[in-house]
Formats: sequence, structure tokens, C-alpha cells
Amino acid sequence: DLSSGINAEWPLRPGFESIQCVEITSQVIMKITRHSQHELEKQLDPHVNGVLLGLINENKGVLEVTHCFPLMNNEIDEDIETNREYQLEMERSLRLVNIDYQQVGFYQSTYLNTHCDRNFLENVFVYLEEMKEAIAVIYDPLKTKLGNLNIRAFKLSLPAFRLYREEKDFTATMLKDNSLTFENLFKEIPVMVKNSALTNVLLCEIDRIQESTACLTLPTSSYLEKSMQMLLSGLDEVNQDLQKINLHQRNVYKQQQQLLQNVQKRKIENAQREKDGLNPLPEEDFSKQFKPPPPLGRLEPLLSSNRIAAHCEMIEEHVRNGIGKLYLADSFMS
Amino acid sequence: KQWYQRRVVISAGNVVDNFERREDSNKRVIGTLLGRYDKGTVIISESFAVPHQETDEEVSMDMEYANRIGELQKKVNTNLYTVGWYSSGIVINEHSSLIHAFYKCQCPTPVHLTVDTQFKEQKMKINTHISLPIGVKGGSEGCIFTPVQYTVQGSEAEQVSLKFFNGLKLNKKSPNFNDREQLLSNCTDMLSQLNLVLDHVKKVLSGSVVPDKELGRQLMEVVQSVPNLDTDTTTNMLNSHMQDLLAVEYLTYLTRQQLAINARINQVL
Repeated sequence: DLSSGINAEWPLRPGFESIQCVEITSQVIMKITRHSQHELEKQLDPHVNGVLLGLINENKGVLEVTHCFPLMNNEIDEDIETNREYQLEMERSLRLVNIDYQQVGFYQSTYLNTHCDRNFLENVFVYLEEMKEAIAVIYDPLKTKLGNLNIRAFKLSLPAFRLYREEKDFTATMLKDNSLTFENLFKEIPVMVKNSALTNVLLCEIDRIQESTACLTLPTSSYLEKSMQMLLSGLDEVNQDLQKINLHQRNVYKQQQQLLQNVQKRKIENAQREKDGLNPLPEEDFSKQFKPPPPLGRLEPLLSSNRIAAHCEMIEEHVRNGIGKLYLADSFMS
Repeated sequence: KQWYQRRVVISAGNVVDNFERREDSNKRVIGTLLGRYDKGTVIISESFAVPHQETDEEVSMDMEYANRIGELQKKVNTNLYTVGWYSSGIVINEHSSLIHAFYKCQCPTPVHLTVDTQFKEQKMKINTHISLPIGVKGGSEGCIFTPVQYTVQGSEAEQVSLKFFNGLKLNKKSPNFNDREQLLSNCTDMLSQLNLVLDHVKKVLSGSVVPDKELGRQLMEVVQSVPNLDTDTTTNMLNSHMQDLLAVEYLTYLTRQQLAINARINQVL
């Protein structure tokens, strides 16, 4: 019975919740930013993704990401093939130079938090199935340009993972039984940056790169406008979903009415026939003729709610910082 | 004279990482540099390690590996070519010229990058060289590795990342990816810089430091760059911005409430 919460064949895997923290080296972060920048220069489409490599430190409950390599965007079919070959080749080659070759997840860049869609969910799921500690790292290039380096790590929460394993689309009863809401669909894992000592020395050496003042830009850019637009479109989606629910409810109600009517008609007919002395007609099972409409898939609305919630969070952060910066600017100009 | 620029950050980081993971038998590591040419300058963007063995007498490297990975990288990063090679350690000897000869087949003037991971000069020196032929034609010929100038460059996003790692290198604790903390650290940086300037100005005024014309001009520029509007306009501007932000915050708050109510539908369906 799929609507009950726990599937007996899939016991609680102890490793699923074992990662408390993700440690990324600055090397990996630089590679991700550079890849994103490179794609941006090439085709104004900052969607990049790539594979993360590293190792798991079970004693400390830490996942270390030590290396990464970029993948091409899967726009043409041959790109997917090339990607696969590339991954295998890289795995083999990295082994030769003693780089950790175990894939621990993937990274993806996002545009104003729109990464959270079905594809993303599918990818996270695929990686999790292979390795229960896999993570997805999301990098926000827009926010980084505005001065705040933004790297976050996500994975599917345990109930979401279990549910997605059974059904590719959720229904409301499943969500209720597993107490899954848009808030606990994904779990965020804190990210720390850790460098080796030699890398620290190198960072000191290249300190002469020009200082960035991007962090102190006033919040008057179009970033806020764009975020609001995204928020509006997200709310449109939610509204459409509500209308769909309404329609669905109405259909279900109508069907039930029709069913009831037919049963009544049959009963009256039978009563009439009894009076006439004829054999009563069998009371057919009308419910076979009137199949109820299928339950609505709730995965898409869940994802869009998640997206909107993340937008709100982003906007709030931006606004809070913005107010601080405005006061700062005020003190300069007065 | 050619300037060679590069984004050394990633490449040098790669060298260090490679060096740390080397087999104990190797004293140094090598790898290929990828980048592109741009009107007389070479921009080094990426790099990857190449397995190689080196003893005092002989050196060998996996050329097929270098070629294979080079091809793969070219497929994925479509406008990067091999522009040279790197090695850790500051020594340049005959083995280096052999390896350099290999890379000469791949690109016209390969750049050789060295990162001194053994701190021969108390710091991690990074050098770039190209090889030029010397000697007498027909007689003994050789090549000499001459140093070339380089600059370290990065895009906006990379600069932000570097600034983020700034706090990391002095005290091993990792800063949070929290926006507000980054803003705070930037503000404190700026404050300390302002204090420095203020100190200097006070010293100049009191006569204990000789004033420097260039510095004075730059300071004047900075002070004048603050837009000089009357208080009314500035207050109006700031207030309107502030109101925009507060309105947006209120809207997001409402949206969150709506989302929470919306989520309840799943209980009812």
C-alpha cells in the first residue's frame, strides 16, 4: 500500500543522515565560478553544471569535495553521449594522478533560484540512489556578482527520497501520510570552505588581485525587479494550480452526483418492474462506468512553492542588507 | 616584448593540489596549461595534471594522456587550447627542456609556469618563462628559459570569491556564507582602510610625515567623488529607496503566509 509511509523493503539507511557538513576547497569554488563566467561570456546563458569529486569522512560526518570538472549543457543529444564518455574518461584519468575520483554529487548554477524544477529533482535522486551521501551544490552567479559568494548544498530529505523512489508524481494523500511539505522537500547542508596549508600560502601570494567592492553596491539595481518578477510568475503558477484543484473537485462532485442519480433511477425502475411482475434488473455497479478522475499530481506545485519560498528568502536577505547599505550611504552623503 | 597575462589562481591552485597528491618518488609534478591567445597576450585559464616520472638520469611523461585529456578538455571548454605547461619547484634543467620540446609540438610558444612549493625564497614564488634558442648556429645550440612578466587577473565573481577566502587564510575557521556576515566583514575592512587614511592625514597635518603630492591628489579625488547634492534631495532619494525596500519586504511576508495556507490544501484533498 503506497499511501502508507514506510515501505518495508526500504529500511532506514543509516548513511542517509550521516553527513552534517560539506567541506569544499577554494580550488573547487574557483573552478565553478570560472566555469560559470566562461559560459556567461560565451553565450549569455549562465546555466552550467558539472560533477563534484571528493571523499567521505565518516568519522566526522563530513563530505569533502576536493575536485570538480565541468560538463556540457545537454542541449543536443550528442552532448549527452559526449558527457558520458567524458565522465568515464575523466574518472580513469584522475585515478592516474591520485585525484579523488569518486563522484560525490554535482554542481549547478542557478538564475534567481529557478534551478528548483523537475530536472533538478531527478538529478538529485539519481545521484542519491548511487551514493546515499551525494549532494547537489548550487552556485548563484548573480548574487556573487553583487558581492556575496553564494554556494549552498542540498539533498532530498529522507521521506521525499523514499516517496520519489516509489512514485514519480505525488498525490495529496501520500504527502499527508509522509508529512511532506514544500519546506522539507530538500534539506540544506551547511557548507564550509577548507584549504590545505599550501593553498593558504598561495592565497596569500596572490593577494594582489584588485579588491572587489561589489559587496557595497546600493540595492537599487535591477536585481530586485527581476526577483519580484520571478515571484509574480511563481504566484501565477500557484493560482493556476488552485484553479486546477477547483476544477478537479467540481468534476469529482459531478461524477458522484451522476452516480447517485443512476443508482436512484435503477432503484425506481426496479420498483416499477416489481410492480409489473417482471424480474428486477441487476443493480449494476455503476462505479465501473464512472471512473473517478485521477488524483492530481502534487509534485509540480510542491516544487513551485519551494521556489517561491526560496525567492522570498532571497528577497528578504537582499532587502535587509539593502537597508543597512542605504543608511551607510546616508552617513556618507550628509 | 610581450606581456603574458593569466588567471593564475586556478592554475597555481592546481599545481599545489597536484604537488600534495604526488607519489613520494617524484620530487616534482607537471601538467598542461590551457588558455587562449588574445592579441599578443596569453591568457591561462585552466590546467590539468599529467602523470610523469623523473629521476636524476631520465624523465618520462605520459604524452598520450596529455593528448587525450587535452582533446577532451577542448571538447568541453571549446575555446581553450594548450598554451604551455607547469611544474612545481623552481628548478629548470635539461628535463624541463625535453618536456618543453614536447609542448612545442602542441603550440607555437609554450609558456612554462613554475610554482615554488618548497619555498626556496621564503615564499611561494610564481614565475613564467618562455624558451628562446641561444647558441651558435651550426655549433652548440641550446635554449634558455627567459622569465616573462605576468599579471594576475580575475573576473568580478572570482574577485569576490578571493575576498571571501581572505579571512580564511589567516585563521583556519571558515566564514559563513551568510550575506550579512560578508557585508559586515566588508564594512570592517573599509573602516580599517579609512582609519589608515585618516591616520596618515593627521600625521601629515601635524608635520611628522612628508606630504606626498600624488597621494594628496588621489585623496582629493576620493573625497570629491561623493556626489554633492543638497540634503533635501539626498533625504528624498534615500527615503524613497527605503520605502521601496520595505514595501517589498511586506509583500514577501504576505507571500509566505499565502504559501503556508496553500500548503494546507494537501491536507484537505
